[in-house]
Amino acid sequence: MKPIALHASAIRARLGNVEVLHGIDLALPAGRWTSIVGPNGAGKSTLLKVLAHLLPHEGSVTLLGQPLATLGQRARARQLAWLGQSEVAGDDLAVFDVAMLGRLPHQPWLGTPSAADLAAVEQALRATQAWDWRGRTLGQLSGGERQRVLLARALAVQAQVLLMDEPLANLDPPHQADWLLLVRELVAAGKTVVSVLHEISLALQADELVLMAQGRVRYQGACADAATHRALEQVFDQRIAIHALAGQYVALPRP
Amino acid sequence: MKDITRQQRRAVLLGLGLLLATAVLLLLGASVGSTGLESLTRMRLDPLALQIVWDIRLPRTVGAWLAGALLGLAGAVAQGLFRNPLADPYLLGSASGASLGVALALLLLGALPATSLIAPWLLHLGLTGAAFLGAVAAVLLTLALARGVQHTLRLLLAGVVVGVVLGALGSLTMLLAPEVMQTLQAFILGSTGLVDWTACALMAGVLLPCLIVAWAFSHVLDGLSLGEATAASLGLPVSSMRAALVVVLALATGTAVAQTGLIGFVGLAAPHLVRSVAKTTHGRLIFLSSLMGGVLLTAADTLARWLLAPQELPVGVLTAVLGGGYLLWLMHRQGSGGRLP
Amino acid sequence: MAERRLQWLLLACLALLALPARALQITDDRGVQVTLAAAPQRIVSLLPSLTETVCELGQCQRLVGVDRYSNYPASVRALPQLGGGIDPNVEAIVALRPDVVLLATSSRAAARLQSLGIPVVAFEPRSHADVQRVLEQVGRLLEVPDARRVWREIDAAVTAAAQSLPAGLQGTRVYFEVNSGPYAASEASFIGETLTRLGMKNIVPARLGPFPKLNPEFVVRADPDLIMVGDSHAADMVRRPGWAGMRAFRTQRVCAFSQQQSDMLVRAGPRMAEGARLMAQCLAAKAGGS
Repeated sequence: MKPIALHASAIRARLGNVEVLHGIDLALPAGRWTSIVGPNGAGKSTLLKVLAHLLPHEGSVTLLGQPLATLGQRARARQLAWLGQSEVAGDDLAVFDVAMLGRLPHQPWLGTPSAADLAAVEQALRATQAWDWRGRTLGQLSGGERQRVLLARALAVQAQVLLMDEPLANLDPPHQADWLLLVRELVAAGKTVVSVLHEISLALQADELVLMAQGRVRYQGACADAATHRALEQVFDQRIAIHALAGQYVALPRP
Repeated sequence: MKDITRQQRRAVLLGLGLLLATAVLLLLGASVGSTGLESLTRMRLDPLALQIVWDIRLPRTVGAWLAGALLGLAGAVAQGLFRNPLADPYLLGSASGASLGVALALLLLGALPATSLIAPWLLHLGLTGAAFLGAVAAVLLTLALARGVQHTLRLLLAGVVVGVVLGALGSLTMLLAPEVMQTLQAFILGSTGLVDWTACALMAGVLLPCLIVAWAFSHVLDGLSLGEATAASLGLPVSSMRAALVVVLALATGTAVAQTGLIGFVGLAAPHLVRSVAKTTHGRLIFLSSLMGGVLLTAADTLARWLLAPQELPVGVLTAVLGGGYLLWLMHRQGSGGRLP
Repeated sequence: MAERRLQWLLLACLALLALPARALQITDDRGVQVTLAAAPQRIVSLLPSLTETVCELGQCQRLVGVDRYSNYPASVRALPQLGGGIDPNVEAIVALRPDVVLLATSSRAAARLQSLGIPVVAFEPRSHADVQRVLEQVGRLLEVPDARRVWREIDAAVTAAAQSLPAGLQGTRVYFEVNSGPYAASEASFIGETLTRLGMKNIVPARLGPFPKLNPEFVVRADPDLIMVGDSHAADMVRRPGWAGMRAFRTQRVCAFSQQQSDMLVRAGPRMAEGARLMAQCLAAKAGGS
């Protein structure tokens, strides 16, 4: 029986006056990489926010056995890192300072960065190849470089569970590949990674796939299973086809 | 760590430079006025000259620095809180709120408080209290109208609306009670001419706790610069920080405005001027912006008294010229394709 | 022996009684009682009407500084200008070492100056009765013996101006516009009082306040016989919708006063008699025809 990192039951959430999630029940395994995919407007980002306790919702979410609502703010922030989709970031902070913000859940209220903090930040920045220009400000970076810095910020938290919404935005293929390697390392170290990706081929590299459409979970299964591939094709109205290629799976548009 | 150390070093150097500038400006401020340098040189021999320097010029200069520091602090807080580089302390209608507060207080006190019955410090407290209450009420009204700080555009719009409406109410008060008009106009004009040591003590007494509170929440401001949701995901107490910093904003702005009237541009320009020299986190930005605001206003006040001595120019004009001029030069230097500092 | 002691005691009492009598005590318009050791020789005035009052009492030479709006008599323009009434230059005032500063009750500088040890006396004359009172108070302050006479002369001059008008002009309906807005001077204002003394009827009643901002319709409906205005506005007035048809414009009964004349008319000061004469002259000239 796999341990469950995040367990969501009977989740209903609204954005404005519209109900976006209609009764979600989901169990995300620990120590694995799960990708959430689905058509536009399926509610993927909303679900991720609910799992990160960032949106009011009905129903409950448990993190590693404990209900999220009962966990203190800082305890939750230490165990769960969230990387949002296109969050506006101030242009004036240096790259190093941005990554250091990821250590805030671990630092005392008026504390200065400890050795552990500095080590974590360095590790995170090196992992995203951002260490060499850590003195530059965000405003001086390209879109891809900025995304890598924000990713480093999320890594610096060193949380057990990482929730990432479109982490590959603006990243070129080499850095997308780097990100894949990074996730593999994290999972090998026992962390749980949940990512919302619209690049289906990359999403298929994960351990598990969750398919969402119109505010409901349609399917959950291993990425290597054929049943998952069929369900994937169906969720996208048969507009894509999954092919095996060089030991991996790719999704190509069906002409 | 070379780049980081460079920014940190620049921040420290800037701080020291501003402290030095403060000392120089305090000396200059004590030397200019209607009687010029002679008052300073004759200080030991002539009691009148001593009175001019010690009781009139020094409190004005120190008061200008303290008011500038309050406005610089409020500007940095406003820009961090609302994640908008165009935010200034008066953005949320606090200026109109303070004026309305003073107008209503004057109305209630009968146009001029009896100065012989109530001690001067009580009098100052009265106007400061009214201006402060007006500023806070205006800010709260703006927050209520915008339903929180989630949407920057809505907040800005609400601030404009509140500013205009309260300004109109202030005008209405002046219309209904014309005897209030002259005193209120003197207040709005913005000047350090009536600042004495009591006012300085009051401003210092407000500046210190505001600085401490703002500094205590500075890392939350940093987290907020990554976005509201990200800050929440980092376990930061965003809503309690917001409440505390709104109080700081209203208190600092209200106090400065009550003592020196409505002086514009200092709160907007000070954080930008600091960032043009050293990019730093809010922890240091709070203090540096405060120092910069103090230096800016003191320089403007000293110039205002010196350029056409014995006449005085309005301080607000000079703060705009000094601060705005520097920012324009910076923009010009950045050229095309550069961002605002 | 006891008799001697009693004499000394009496003398001492008399001496004690005599001492405070040398000091001046004035209650100003703020209700504050100001005590001065002697009559002030160096005076700063921050209100034009008070400047004129001091000069009218023949003590112009005691003025050492005035505000920037004091412009009468011409000699005061040579004095150092110390800022406005509401934004005075505190340092410059202190540097002149005045014995007393005269200013309006609405000035915020009173507290500051007092905290610097300068005696401050606040007057703000707004009506004819105020002018009389202020004249007498300032006269007492400056120890001018015949302040009452000065007032009597002014008062008599106003009466004379009123009497110079032909009887047929009594009750002429007048509209006095102070500022484009339009802000009018009602019966309750200083100008309104002068007009009343001249026997004129003000179309703006006292219940609207001294300087109400009117709806222009009101003036058109009231259709005054004569209009008095500062000459900078006179040309624009006729262009207001509906105004060209008013009686006063059709019959050219408009008194346009220059800036200097307007200053004199508006100030509640000792030149009120000249103001009354000015208005009477204009009335006789313009309205005399009907």
